[in-house]
Amino acid sequence: MTSIGTGYDLSNSVFSPDGRNFQVEYAVKAVENGTTSIGIKHQDGVVFAVEKLITSKLLVPKKNVKIQTIDRHIGCVYSGLIPDGRHLVNRGREEALSFKQTYGTPITVPSFADRMGQYVQAHTLYNSVRPFGVTAIFGGVDENGPHLYMLEPSGAYWGYKGAATGKGRQTAKAELEKLVDKNPDGLTAKEAVKQAAKIIYMAHEDNKEKDFEIEISWCSASETKGLHKFVNGDILKEANEFAKKEVNGDQDSDSSSDDEVNDEEEAAAPSSTIDAEGDVQIN
Amino acid sequence: MNHDPFHWGRPSDEQYGAYNNTIANASPYPKMNTQQPIVTGTSVISMQYDNGVIIAADNLGSYGSLLRFNDIERLICVGKNTVVGISGDISDMQHIERLLDEMEMENNYDNSCADDEESLRPSYVFEYLAAVMYQRRSKMNPLWNALIVAGVEEGKQFLRYVNLLGVTYSSPTLATGFGAHLAVPLLRRVVDHESDIEKTNLETAEKTIVECMKVLYYRDARSSRKYSLAIIDNDKGLIFKKNQEVSEMVWGFAKDIRGYGTQTV
Amino acid sequence: MFRNNYDGDTVTFSPTGRLFQVEYALEAIKQGSVTVGLRSKKYAVLVALKRNADELSSYQKKIIRCDEHLGLSLAGLAPDARVLSNYLRQQCNYSRMVFNRDLSVEKAGHMLSDKAQKNTQSYGGRPYGVGLLIIGYDRSGPHLLEFQPSGNTLELYGSAIGARSQGAKTYLERTLEKYLEIEDPEELIKLGVEALRQSLKDETLSNSNLSIAIVGENLPFTQYDGDSVAPYL
Repeated sequence: MTSIGTGYDLSNSVFSPDGRNFQVEYAVKAVENGTTSIGIKHQDGVVFAVEKLITSKLLVPKKNVKIQTIDRHIGCVYSGLIPDGRHLVNRGREEALSFKQTYGTPITVPSFADRMGQYVQAHTLYNSVRPFGVTAIFGGVDENGPHLYMLEPSGAYWGYKGAATGKGRQTAKAELEKLVDKNPDGLTAKEAVKQAAKIIYMAHEDNKEKDFEIEISWCSASETKGLHKFVNGDILKEANEFAKKEVNGDQDSDSSSDDEVNDEEEAAAPSSTIDAEGDVQIN
Repeated sequence: MNHDPFHWGRPSDEQYGAYNNTIANASPYPKMNTQQPIVTGTSVISMQYDNGVIIAADNLGSYGSLLRFNDIERLICVGKNTVVGISGDISDMQHIERLLDEMEMENNYDNSCADDEESLRPSYVFEYLAAVMYQRRSKMNPLWNALIVAGVEEGKQFLRYVNLLGVTYSSPTLATGFGAHLAVPLLRRVVDHESDIEKTNLETAEKTIVECMKVLYYRDARSSRKYSLAIIDNDKGLIFKKNQEVSEMVWGFAKDIRGYGTQTV
Repeated sequence: MFRNNYDGDTVTFSPTGRLFQVEYALEAIKQGSVTVGLRSKKYAVLVALKRNADELSSYQKKIIRCDEHLGLSLAGLAPDARVLSNYLRQQCNYSRMVFNRDLSVEKAGHMLSDKAQKNTQSYGGRPYGVGLLIIGYDRSGPHLLEFQPSGNTLELYGSAIGARSQGAKTYLERTLEKYLEIEDPEELIKLGVEALRQSLKDETLSNSNLSIAIVGENLPFTQYDGDSVAPYL
């Protein structure tokens, strides 16, 4: 970041002499501080999971939902500026709807990814807008099977077997790689849900002083008839318990209370602040 | 003054001679929208009973008097406790199907209670459709249909009608098209007043509807034997019966009918 | 005067990925007088401290009704709150007229979020300079939302925004288990007023500067101002 202060980083759509677009790089910074999101592609679908920091005990548990549905068969989760993510999802819904109206069939995930990529890229072209402060992980099941993509603020996107973004992405990526190596034939949907929970717990380890909730959704040919649905009830409970046990087992020196969600006393901070990922801290 | 509406606001023919459409390359009419339905579905019939509502419609799509399509589903489920029965133009019906699909999708967006408290209700669906129908007729571009929305809401029956004019009404028994003339009197033999609803159980109601489908098949030349029937019950939920067939008919008299068809007297 | 080069508009990220204009907008909330919101399992309540510009002027309205079942209180730029509440009123009416349906509180929150987000991503405007507490009662019960100009809207059991709101917030955290179970709406209001008191400095609550609103089960959005707040002082 030696070019900070040279003026080339003050406006979007401007190249620095060495060919970089700094505003896009800064948008990535907003993502890197965001809460961890992951996506796993499994045998017949995808699973999304996200860490939800509990910044105040006044927050209503299980509300303030983060994962969103775009079309019946496509789900999305993102890290970074949450309102930007909502903007992106709203656009995604428009694209999916317009495709359906034009062609009379639900949009395929690859062409959906392409349209989203174009939209995000367009926000790097003009100085009248700023890039999206989110990296989005989305995917679902279409006639060609499951698809998973990750879309960055630059508008670049790739297909993944397992994707992670946000603060805990390093840990999460390492775990995802291990998971893919160990399961060359892919996981079952239910197994993927459990592993997703575990990875979110592990990625949270570096951030232990903060309480969190976990939110999981899936889209699977066998379990949800190809529809994107939230995981709740017993399956969610099971995944949570599995994750806690696994993470606890790795570090037996920990006191058990550290693994309990929601039991931490709030340290009162003098004022409400907003951190870079757009999660409001209410202390 | 020339009272022909097509001449309103135009230069008078007495003064300037007849308007020459070929020179202006103009249509002889002002802007026109749908003037008639093309492929049509016939009656939808429905009634309330003590614990819900029943609705039925056959599976025929007629092209004039030609029985063109025999697998048209005219009962559309919306959410978990609403069925919309549609008669009239089939392409307009398919447009309405798309609207309802979008409505259902939109209700699921970011709605954490979408499966229970904030799920779609028949009254929401009806109000929306009535708004669409009225708006279209006010643009002089109607959707050429008559609709019946049937369902249960907060333990009570919901049954309401809206048509291409934007007119709406409710009744313990409702039917569109030919059914309004042929089926309603028969339905009213069972449920005439509001107070009769609670005296009528599902079995009686279903028998009545099935009987009406038979009468309609006998007397409505644009009807088909095959039909669908939906029951929305407070306890049992939505029961959708496809591929029902009108049965136990008597056609022996037919051979004696004279004056129609190809036979020579 | 400027803290840095990156705070001039809403379309420039700082090198750490922050949006200073949006953060400054959040500061505007703290300039406003305090307002408190809380809810039980049946009711949601707003309590607000009104301010007047000088002795002879009237007090600035702090609570705005949007519909039978929905209303909000504000801290920050009152004109911005009027824009947002007008928008909510329109959306409530639309939902009523087209769908025969009360706009759900959750959806109202999302709509505000999405409206506010637009102002943070394009040049030429500014973010809204107001925080809102939205209360409503819909098919899934009573709700309280906190809206911020960044486009974040959160559902909470209790919240306070505006000058010195931390005092009220701490009180609400401490008494959370108590007020969640309160059955009597009057009791809930009283607890709300008590929370508001924790955020006062020189002011004393009176008929003229206290504003209250409640909504809940079999209770449409009702506002108390002037003499009608006397029982709660």
